[in-house]
Amino acid sequence: MTIQRRLDYLCYAIFIVAILLVPLLLGDFWINRMSKFLVYGMLGVAVSLCWGYAGILNLGQGLFFGAGAYMLAMSLKLLSNTSMQQGSDTPVPDFMLWNAQPGAPTELCCINHGSWLWLPFQSQWFGILMGILLPVTLALILGLIVFRKRIAGVFVSIITLALVLLVRLVLIDAQPLTNGFNGLTDLGTLTILGYQFDAYGLGTYYLIAVSLALVLIGARMLVETRAGLILQAIRDDQNRVRYLGFDVPVYQLFFFTVSAGIAGYAGMLYVVAAEFASPTFMDLAYSITMVVWAAVGGRASLLGACIGAILINIVAATVSETQSFMEAWKAVIGLVFVLVVLYLPRGLAGLASDIGERIEARAAARAATGSQAAAMVAASRRAP
Amino acid sequence: MTAALTIDGIGVAFAGFKAVDGVSLVIEEGELRVLLGANGAGKTTLMDLVSGRTRATEGHVFLYDREITNRDEHQIARAGLGRKFQIPSVFKELSVRANLEVASCRNPHVFANLRFGFSRAQRRRVDEVLALIDLGDTADQPAANLSHGQTQWLELGMLIVQDPKVLLLDEPTAGMTQAETHKTAEIIKSLRGQHSIIVVEHDMAFVREIAERITVLHLGRVLAEGDLASIETNEDVRRAYLGAAAGHG
Repeated sequence: MTIQRRLDYLCYAIFIVAILLVPLLLGDFWINRMSKFLVYGMLGVAVSLCWGYAGILNLGQGLFFGAGAYMLAMSLKLLSNTSMQQGSDTPVPDFMLWNAQPGAPTELCCINHGSWLWLPFQSQWFGILMGILLPVTLALILGLIVFRKRIAGVFVSIITLALVLLVRLVLIDAQPLTNGFNGLTDLGTLTILGYQFDAYGLGTYYLIAVSLALVLIGARMLVETRAGLILQAIRDDQNRVRYLGFDVPVYQLFFFTVSAGIAGYAGMLYVVAAEFASPTFMDLAYSITMVVWAAVGGRASLLGACIGAILINIVAATVSETQSFMEAWKAVIGLVFVLVVLYLPRGLAGLASDIGERIEARAAARAATGSQAAAMVAASRRAP
Repeated sequence: MTAALTIDGIGVAFAGFKAVDGVSLVIEEGELRVLLGANGAGKTTLMDLVSGRTRATEGHVFLYDREITNRDEHQIARAGLGRKFQIPSVFKELSVRANLEVASCRNPHVFANLRFGFSRAQRRRVDEVLALIDLGDTADQPAANLSHGQTQWLELGMLIVQDPKVLLLDEPTAGMTQAETHKTAEIIKSLRGQHSIIVVEHDMAFVREIAERITVLHLGRVLAEGDLASIETNEDVRRAYLGAAAGHG
């Protein structure tokens, strides 16, 4: 193993230990904030996997994030007290009642057209399952079309960008089902094996921190496999890989889908920590922000993109507490992005790896001069 | 002798223009065939047709007794056909060794490749090829750092690791110095016998160094076929191609 790689693994270990220890230093408010930021870190991993390793710049990662978020939020909405107190045996979301036609039955099955779609979400596990399944299915369908047709580069970005906007419109338009602009709020608490995940509690923080650690390690292992190597080859030159006998779209589809699954999982975790799901998850600006996090952290490094996302959000949260900075913040982050693209194309991770390389080179040089000196000493002993 | 590659009356038309018009060729097992022709003669298009990049509108291609006409590129590659591009294409951000390792994957399926590392046999093969293409010293460097000639050799090396039955080499010496060209000829000659090879070339010095049999294309058709001497004395060829080349040099 090279020194570089050993340093790399060391960074992963330090990061994971750090996120596990951080709550010891923080109060409830910041623990909740950090929970959300770790979710952003997970999105950074998803973006890095897709953009840095597969070379697919998905400008609609928010679609998968939002899909995961809404699926769990629907289940949690039905678990909420406000849904249970509607004079019906089965829970009915409050917004559906507010908007119900006069005389409509106050049952989930038929309070409005399509409300039956909510029925299976009475089981929390269905919501959790769909939180992965829906983004993965969407990614499979989208990827199948895009990659089979050999659409690449900026065109994939345009298609994903258009798609996330389209879905956002539909989501807002389906107001009776989704509560439109307002999103799903007043959610119940996720309860697993009797444990309630309070958004401000340590339980939620550790759920997210451990999830992030596992996702990081899993994604890293994935890109270290032969398939991961072939994926990077595809990023560099699709055609060459094709003529080596690999079915390129299958590889792209696989990693695109894994990335979507991670984003969907992150969406679910975000709902647990933030206690709402809203169409803002599918705002264009939101998806682009994710890309900026990954670019600043270093898109070619899973850990770099993850740390980039967390750092930017910590800085943003700290800075925006000062009134005068709040307005300027967006300009600052824009400037940082431009500077990184111009001067640090490999992001913070690239900077770190350059430093690591320099250390390695210096160590090698020292070893070389050391052995040279030893050889000279030996020679001088032999001389007389 | 068995035929490794049989091209039977293949052709394609682009908007009515027949770039390749009913070309038939038989490459014997272990043969090294040079494809000559002026610009626009249809050499690269013929390679595109054989390797699946372009769909043929007529004719058939067989790899041994297996028909590969109009299959997808990766299926044709898996059937045992390797191709080197005119503009060298390698994986720039991967190390030289990783480039060869990608080529050494025997199972193309994504789930079969969800495992770490390569077998001892694969690693040994990669080391052998690194030695053959003389890139052992740069094995751990990104391929982007290689010179033009080295990049061409790396792509050749990838093809050797891939171990196809039939190799299509499109101008493997393009942009090379004389010394580099000579070395490339050595590498290609070392492959002779183990693979059946088609080389497209313009460089007559290189052709003289490696050629056994030559096929001359002109305006999408086969103009002549034979050994070096008979091609050089062929009147049609002189008029269509060599005459112009002789004028240059």
